[in-house]
Amino acid sequence: MKPQSSSFRLTAVAAATFAAFSAFAANEEAAELTKPTSSVQFGLGYVDNDNRRFGQYNGLNQEGAYGLLGVDIVKRDDATGTWLKLRGRNLGLDNQDLRFEHEAQGNWGYYVEFDQIPRSEPYQAFTGVQGIGSNVLTIPAVSTRTTLVDLETKRERIGLGFSKHFSEVWNFKVDFRNEEKKGARLWGRGTTTPAFEFTPEPIDSTTRLLEATLGYTGKNLQLSGGYFGTMFNNAYNGLSFSGGNAGLSTFNPIALPPDNHSHQLFLSGAYTFTPTTQGNFKVAYGKALQNDAFVTGINVPMAPGIGNNLQGRIDTTLVQMGITARPMPKLTLRGNLRYDDRDDKTPVLRYSTLATGTSTFNGDNEPRSNRTTTGNFEASYMLPMAFRLIGGLDYEEKKRSLSQVRIVSHRDRTDETSYRAELRRSVSDTLTGAIGYIHSSRDGSPFLQTTLNNGTAGSNVVAPIHLANRDRDKIRLSANWQATEPLSLQFVLDQSQDKYEGDRDGSGLGPRKGESQNYSIDASYIFNDKVQGTAYFSRNDTKLDQSSRTSGGQLWAAALQNTGDSMGLGLRGKPYAWLEMGGDVSYSDITDKYGQSAITGAAIASLPEVTTKLTRLQLFAKFATQKNAGVRLDYIYDRFSTNDWTWSTWTYSDGTRMLQDPVQKVNFVGVSYYYRWQ
Amino acid sequence: MNKTFLILMRSVTAALCLFAMAQSALAQDAAKAPRKDLALKGDAVCTRCHGVDEEYPVLAIGQTKHGTVADKRTPTCISCHGASETHINRPAGVSERPKPTISFNKKGGTQPEEQNQTCLTCHQGGKRTHWQTSLHATRDTTCVACHQVHAAHDKVRDKRDQAQVCYTCHKEQRAQSQRPSRHPIPEGKMTCSDCHNPHGSAGPKNLVRDNVNDTCYTCHMEKRGPFVRTHQPVQEDCSICHNPHGTTTPNLLKTRSPFLCQQCHEPTSHRGNFGSLTGNSTSANAAARGCLNCHTQIHGTNNPANISNERTFRR
Repeated sequence: MKPQSSSFRLTAVAAATFAAFSAFAANEEAAELTKPTSSVQFGLGYVDNDNRRFGQYNGLNQEGAYGLLGVDIVKRDDATGTWLKLRGRNLGLDNQDLRFEHEAQGNWGYYVEFDQIPRSEPYQAFTGVQGIGSNVLTIPAVSTRTTLVDLETKRERIGLGFSKHFSEVWNFKVDFRNEEKKGARLWGRGTTTPAFEFTPEPIDSTTRLLEATLGYTGKNLQLSGGYFGTMFNNAYNGLSFSGGNAGLSTFNPIALPPDNHSHQLFLSGAYTFTPTTQGNFKVAYGKALQNDAFVTGINVPMAPGIGNNLQGRIDTTLVQMGITARPMPKLTLRGNLRYDDRDDKTPVLRYSTLATGTSTFNGDNEPRSNRTTTGNFEASYMLPMAFRLIGGLDYEEKKRSLSQVRIVSHRDRTDETSYRAELRRSVSDTLTGAIGYIHSSRDGSPFLQTTLNNGTAGSNVVAPIHLANRDRDKIRLSANWQATEPLSLQFVLDQSQDKYEGDRDGSGLGPRKGESQNYSIDASYIFNDKVQGTAYFSRNDTKLDQSSRTSGGQLWAAALQNTGDSMGLGLRGKPYAWLEMGGDVSYSDITDKYGQSAITGAAIASLPEVTTKLTRLQLFAKFATQKNAGVRLDYIYDRFSTNDWTWSTWTYSDGTRMLQDPVQKVNFVGVSYYYRWQ
Repeated sequence: MNKTFLILMRSVTAALCLFAMAQSALAQDAAKAPRKDLALKGDAVCTRCHGVDEEYPVLAIGQTKHGTVADKRTPTCISCHGASETHINRPAGVSERPKPTISFNKKGGTQPEEQNQTCLTCHQGGKRTHWQTSLHATRDTTCVACHQVHAAHDKVRDKRDQAQVCYTCHKEQRAQSQRPSRHPIPEGKMTCSDCHNPHGSAGPKNLVRDNVNDTCYTCHMEKRGPFVRTHQPVQEDCSICHNPHGTTTPNLLKTRSPFLCQQCHEPTSHRGNFGSLTGNSTSANAAARGCLNCHTQIHGTNNPANISNERTFRR
């Protein structure tokens, strides 16, 4: 008995001990799950090829080794609810970003951030032009190519912000962003002499945004009011040249984008009238000003009385109001009105005094005012089995100012009305989705005659694509189907057809007919609780038929078509506690066809098709060497191929050629060590 | 040696027994003591089941702003999921535990509007001022369709991952983002919410600013002007010529020159010529930058030169 009793006591003690340790471990585990986690990751990556596409926006466009460094430090003082965050990504690389944030949640907060966005021009210039990136270019006297030049721009952005909650309902927020953009971009000058020269545009500009908002958040009323200001400063207001073709001497200088700024006051809000009726609104008034001094060095006399700057001014007014109501338990109504006015108050002056009676211009500048008024109304009714029937009406009116003498057909008003019907099911164990149909019809005021300076009619045969009468029919179908417990499928189909009256006076010219089809199927499969996969396929096909007329009077048509197939596979798994791995492969095959054909006269050749294929394989594996640390491996294979002929036949008069490797393959391998802590 | 070993063993055994008894007593006290909250205020009643071993992990909410309990505004489980009495205390004779009063998924039986209203109880106003009349709201998009409230890392609020969440529904944009001409979305340097406010806005298409152009100007302010010479569609709507989600033609143009230009321009002079890669001057209108080989200032120019027909954007 005694030994038995002793044994029983020891077993009970052991069980209690185990329970106590288990509870302790559970509490430890709970603490791990509920406390913010910080991490650091550092390592080395290697790119095996110079490239223009893979590295276009990440800066990895040169063969070689790159340092990999990222930090994500998150600290919270649980007693006061104060957060301290420092997050840095791609540190040391051209696409690095860093953000510091300090916040007493519900009280005050501020942040400072830095972000870089590089952009490489996909084509490489083989040129003799000198001074690229500056505002004075030297064009070779004779056609020559001496240097390979990579055109690039880089944006460097600094953001600052502060917020303060004064009480449960009042808060204030201010955000400021300063972005400097530097580099050069593909540009040129030319005339029918013929002479075409490679004249990259120098980029050295600063964009600033400032927004300050005072907010009120009551139970039924919410308001936000404040100021939004923007400013653009360009270090250069003109690009000038030495050398170059004599036929281009009057194209010197070329003006660069002028400094401009805008200031807007706004007030927006929402109000709950009843538990089933809510409304919202926004009113805003602003001014955009452009009074930067004109470019100097123009080698012709200026027109009299134009001053030294445009005195550009645009006043903007926005009024928007919306309401949603449920007058019956199953019926929801929604309405929205919006008025957006852009009133260009720039003085009209005669900048050119050289117009003749048969000119298609009179020499005046042409301020552009636009006024858009939109309204929509929608009724939604709940049906049995969680179906919802929706009907809607949308209306948009656009009014535009016009100048006296025009070279392009114009109408000062277009109206578009759309009717919508949709059947939707959003809540279900197995199948949700929607099927909808929209019919839109656009017309407007009569087209105005295009006139010459002496008042006689000019050419009036094309209705511009955004002004032409148009009928559009669109069907959209989407379905989410939980086929089995591990398998879910998603289907999306939309198809639209446009019919344009793109001509005037029965010419048969301009845009005629458009079509768009988008199909996609997505699948996700849960193999087990440690492995899951996804797959998708999409086809996007757009077509537009249009026609025109050569200077010799021959009518011809173009059947433009863009077809893109995209597909992808993804797999994520954590087969062991110490191993997490995954991969994605995507492939896109995109073809553009131009389908040129003669309507009258001799046959004409079409342009060759352009096919572009993009393949990307991304793999990663994380090996945990400790619970909170380990090694991460990354591998990327990127392939870009194209038969794009855009630049293949083109040589600038100065000798410059733009080059692109038609097949670009890049392998990237990265090894990094990560460490996490709380 | 044996005696020493015996004393040592007895001592160790006694120490172990004392330690075990103490732990046993502590464990019994712990069992009797009320459960502690793990992440949120008053979550003990929930975390007795939804603990560390939960199939659908919930405790990571503690790492988020919702789990910052020092902020008196933060929620409890019940403030979002409702009292859920039958879920907490399964009624006798019921085999399957009833769901919480408010379930945030498509299967829970809670209507999307009610799910969203729960979130709006605290999150109304500010960037969500226009939620109620937005297309997302009226198409039954729920907050949790995009946001992972219980996860430490809410993908849709991370610039690198957000687009993948949006592509769950917006398939056409997913395909377009893989076109040769695109914004740096796959690189995570730009994302959908840089241009769109998915919670609704006063602008069209949920744009963050009041119209298309004002949204584009936040990054492309050099296009704003106004200029001495202006191009009408440029001032009206950037999306007449550009598709911001991605295209084949450089600079996000919807199609290449001369076809794009011929969709508006009268076919007088060289403007109506069919696309060609050969010839001189204006004949090679599909090569290089096409029409822009000459008309380089297509967004407008501020050059006041008194030159015949200067409004053709060449200087």
